[in-house]
Amino acid sequence: MINMVLLMLLLASVYAIIRLDRLLTAVLLTSLFSVLVASIFMVLDAVDVAFTEAAVGAGVSTIFFLAALAIVGRQCKPTPRRKIIAPLIVVSATGCVLLYASLDMPRFGEPLAPVHQHVAPRYLNDSAAEVGPPNIVTSVLASYRGYDTFGEVGVVFTAFIGVLMLLGAGTRRTSIEPPTPTGAPKESMRKKVVLKEVADLVIAPVLIFALYVQWHGDFGPGGGFQAGVIFASGIFLYALIYGIEPAQRLLPPRRLAYFPAIGLLLYAAVGIISMLRGGNFLNYSVLVNDPLHGQHYGILAIELGVGITVAAVMINIFFSFSERSL
Amino acid sequence: MMYAVTTVAILICIGMAMARAFLGPSIYDRILAINSAGTCIVLFLSVLGFLMGRPDFLDIALTYALINFTGTIAILKFFKYGSLGVSDPAAPPKTKVE
Repeated sequence: MINMVLLMLLLASVYAIIRLDRLLTAVLLTSLFSVLVASIFMVLDAVDVAFTEAAVGAGVSTIFFLAALAIVGRQCKPTPRRKIIAPLIVVSATGCVLLYASLDMPRFGEPLAPVHQHVAPRYLNDSAAEVGPPNIVTSVLASYRGYDTFGEVGVVFTAFIGVLMLLGAGTRRTSIEPPTPTGAPKESMRKKVVLKEVADLVIAPVLIFALYVQWHGDFGPGGGFQAGVIFASGIFLYALIYGIEPAQRLLPPRRLAYFPAIGLLLYAAVGIISMLRGGNFLNYSVLVNDPLHGQHYGILAIELGVGITVAAVMINIFFSFSERSL
Repeated sequence: MMYAVTTVAILICIGMAMARAFLGPSIYDRILAINSAGTCIVLFLSVLGFLMGRPDFLDIALTYALINFTGTIAILKFFKYGSLGVSDPAAPPKTKVE
């Protein structure tokens, strides 16, 4: 019932996004779309996924979209009607293929589905004895599927390299004409008393909350990815209120550019150390004498690596985008 | 029961706020509507946690509440200044605000 209502709202927002030609409004509605998706994940009990969606989709990607809009301008050009035919065919065909594939999938909640046959029972029954954390998602993500998560961090790092090559590391200026602001930008954001005071109050709790999410990921929803994004959004708030230059004095982009690599190398180092101690790559059980303690330390260390990489990548990308539009 | 009624009421609120966001003639209507829809969703997530017996869902509501604030400030700043990075270098960093 709640699902149906949320799905209807989701469809309505998608329709509105497609119909609009104002990009700013489309960005607003996209953030709403993301948070609706997060609510649906919550209803489906996928708390960690909902957490990521709420932090990344609704927060950070909205800010990145805005930063991109500041470079490309706010209106989308009208597309001539004959140019939409080929994309329409491709999209419809892909949609049909996906619908056809979904016919073969087991029904939602089907107990005989393959995923409920061997992997999930093992995780649910044995992860407390094998890995330890009460949050099974964390044990799957960080320990059983440590290789996959390592790959994901690698992907984030690669994306960062790509943005760096396209936009520069927040250290160079270009001569692109910025879109004209609507208001008279005579007074800076910092002069807005209410905004400044509220932001001053909020920034520190955001950062502390990010640390809580980082270190509490074993016990509740959360972990490195979400914590990195939340930490970055605290820095974004500072940069929004005080301007990008004070934020860059706080975190010099040249030095910050090392941190994605540091996080990834920390993750890899845990794997190398476990190899040196006689186990497989990323087998944390051998890190210390007690296997459960080893798992715990290993998970904490790699989550820290993930958090460092994600936060540094987000902040760097934000700096690069914002510098381009100054 | 109480939680269920609250959930339904909040869903109706979200629906109405979203209707304003879709129809809203001016951008201000839309920004305000989306912000209030976001606030309603924070409430919805909190109530849902209690409805489903897992109050640790509150973390997600808290996250979204904090991030929604940042997002709204970003939208307003973009709308007013046309860029997210504007600062004003003339004033020294520790100016006393009147």
